[in-house]
Amino acid sequence: MVAILLFPSASRAEPLRLRGDAFAQTPSPTGLLILSGEDRVKPWISAEGLAWLGAGVGGETGAGDVLSLAVKLRDPTGHGEVRIGRLMVTMGSIRPLQLDGASVLGRTPWGSSLEAFGGAPVVPRFGERSYDWAVGGRLAQSLGEKAKLGVAYVHKRDRGDLAAEEVGADLAIAPTRTFDLAARTAYDLVSWGLVDALLSASVRFASLRLEAFATRRSPSRLLPATSLFSVLGDAPATRAGASVRWNAAPRLDVLGSGAVYVQDDRAGYDAFVRANLRTDDEGKGVLGLELRRQGVPKSGWTGIRATAALPVLPRLRASTELELAAADHGGSRGAVWPWALVAMTYRASDRWDMALAAEVASRPAVAREVVGLFRASYAWDR
Amino acid sequence: MIPKKHVVLFLCVLLGACAGILGIKPRNGERPFEHRAHVTKGVACTVCHQGIAKEGRTGPLHLPTTATCVSCHAKPHTAQSCGDCHGEKHQRQEVEIAKHALRFEHDKHVVASNGSCTKCHAKIGESRDVSLMPPMVSCFACHQHEKQFAARDCDGCHVDLPAEHVTPQDHLVHDGDFIREHGVRAAASPDLCATCHSERTCLSCHGVGTTPALPARLTFDQPRLSGLHRAGFLSRHAEESKNNPGLCTTCHAESTCRSCHEQQNVSAGGPIKRRSPHPSTWLNPSRGGDHGQAARLDPAGCAGCHGGAGEQLCIGCHKVGGPGGNPHGPGYTSRKDKLNDVPCRFCHRMGS
Repeated sequence: MVAILLFPSASRAEPLRLRGDAFAQTPSPTGLLILSGEDRVKPWISAEGLAWLGAGVGGETGAGDVLSLAVKLRDPTGHGEVRIGRLMVTMGSIRPLQLDGASVLGRTPWGSSLEAFGGAPVVPRFGERSYDWAVGGRLAQSLGEKAKLGVAYVHKRDRGDLAAEEVGADLAIAPTRTFDLAARTAYDLVSWGLVDALLSASVRFASLRLEAFATRRSPSRLLPATSLFSVLGDAPATRAGASVRWNAAPRLDVLGSGAVYVQDDRAGYDAFVRANLRTDDEGKGVLGLELRRQGVPKSGWTGIRATAALPVLPRLRASTELELAAADHGGSRGAVWPWALVAMTYRASDRWDMALAAEVASRPAVAREVVGLFRASYAWDR
Repeated sequence: MIPKKHVVLFLCVLLGACAGILGIKPRNGERPFEHRAHVTKGVACTVCHQGIAKEGRTGPLHLPTTATCVSCHAKPHTAQSCGDCHGEKHQRQEVEIAKHALRFEHDKHVVASNGSCTKCHAKIGESRDVSLMPPMVSCFACHQHEKQFAARDCDGCHVDLPAEHVTPQDHLVHDGDFIREHGVRAAASPDLCATCHSERTCLSCHGVGTTPALPARLTFDQPRLSGLHRAGFLSRHAEESKNNPGLCTTCHAESTCRSCHEQQNVSAGGPIKRRSPHPSTWLNPSRGGDHGQAARLDPAGCAGCHGGAGEQLCIGCHKVGGPGGNPHGPGYTSRKDKLNDVPCRFCHRMGS
């Protein structure tokens, strides 16, 4: 990363993307420097990285981490690729894993692909390594241009003990231009049972998109099998509902969603509706309003959120957000939790971007809180 | 006290950043090719790019060679290849990438545009360092692709999207409740996601102990962006976590709650004990109380404070023969060896 920053022009002729973000907030004070970059040295080799350094982050005086540092080798004809380093593996139905390891992907001309990975799960902030390991893979097959089916497997060890073994399947179908369906499910092979499942079907018309969805999660199976709390038995949570997105007018988008929820003998619902009105054709200015309700016994809440982002000058933009959340059972934590933010963004050039904000909140743990936020970003993008 | 290695690392990065901002870099000998000068002299594009007007999907790139240049510039000022200085490497690479990654035929387009290259290559008249690739909006001047956009079917033109390293402008909308849908959609078309998003996009939320400022925090000035942790999430996170059991655990380790609460000094458990957060009905010596059902509904919530060494709190009662009885739910099975594997052996170590 340092080398890339020191010699940006050495890679200037490549599709280089480098970015640095400095973030600070009061009154902690907290300072954060995030440096990210990616570059394709040749069509067959690319690299990306993201590192952060912070002071006062999470109560620590000084901390840092490398979130991503990976080299990717790929066949320019698209038949395969290899990633090595600190990377993320996403295997369709299997939960994303951050690994220090390698991942290999192969594709065939008839639409099959096989991906395999192996490595040690990342220990955050240069912490002590327990040398856990994880392996897995996914086999997928495209069925023409209409559908894709994948089967995945993962095996994780925590200090030598079996922490997770799951098999999963994912499916995406788009039989027509207006209808598509996507589903995934993962099954626990340690203590047999469904870990996680999702089904989503949507239809699209000219300015309308309707979606029906259902999810099922077993919270105890989401914990590593080495946790004592993973043995408590299955109390899966099931949600089913529908969402609608409507382009009500050329500049007005409305998104609404509602779902019912059942877990054990507990039932509830949640719903929200959000409207965004663009103040110009390019969407440089946006006004938004959102209403949300979660009606779950003992933890229900209602919220309203208003947003505005408007260009003040060609390079200056103002934005604000206001949220009022009222808990059904706030008790000693207060009846209403207001939160507001006012921000100004100055885009000094195509590369420099600065934002300053004040955030005011009253929340369960703190009666009144005022926080100043500052961000400066520099992009070395071509 | 900040560790020395962090200070050294920070200074190195700072030095690197300053060098970049101040423009301290090796001298770049390349210069943009003077397309403008040639156009104003009346040199037709096909004089240098010979054969391009008849070129189909495959074939050479038709980039001028030194021989092409000296056919007019009879006395070159150096013996070097002209392309070493005149013209930029990245522009040549763009052409190479486009040849491989795009389904495109120049011959058909030359006819349709009546031989006018500048209709698509509008920036050819600029002598600055620019990309000469026509933006996609130029394609839309003639081609309509609403149906393909709706179905996110890019294969008609884009043979190899990841190779192109391009960013769509506004034709790909994350419609619906994209936070819920993105995982399953990404599984079906990872290459499409990769055109805009690199691994660090995933890692900014799914990374272990991720960046301390989540994307929603860093983009505080863009209220239009949605996100799970948007606006006053800190106030309502307890409610949200209870209403979506398991949702937090899909990204966060179970220790996240505890470590954050301890750092913020608002922990109900752990070393900074204030008072129990649990209601009076939590534990009932004869009937167990509410804690059993609560633990089944939200085991990650329990593990947040009582994970690791804190599990001993449960084992005190829920051991074999202990007053807590069997903690397993109905029909519980496991492949684990109850005498040797963690966590079974904590309770079953007595050989029962």
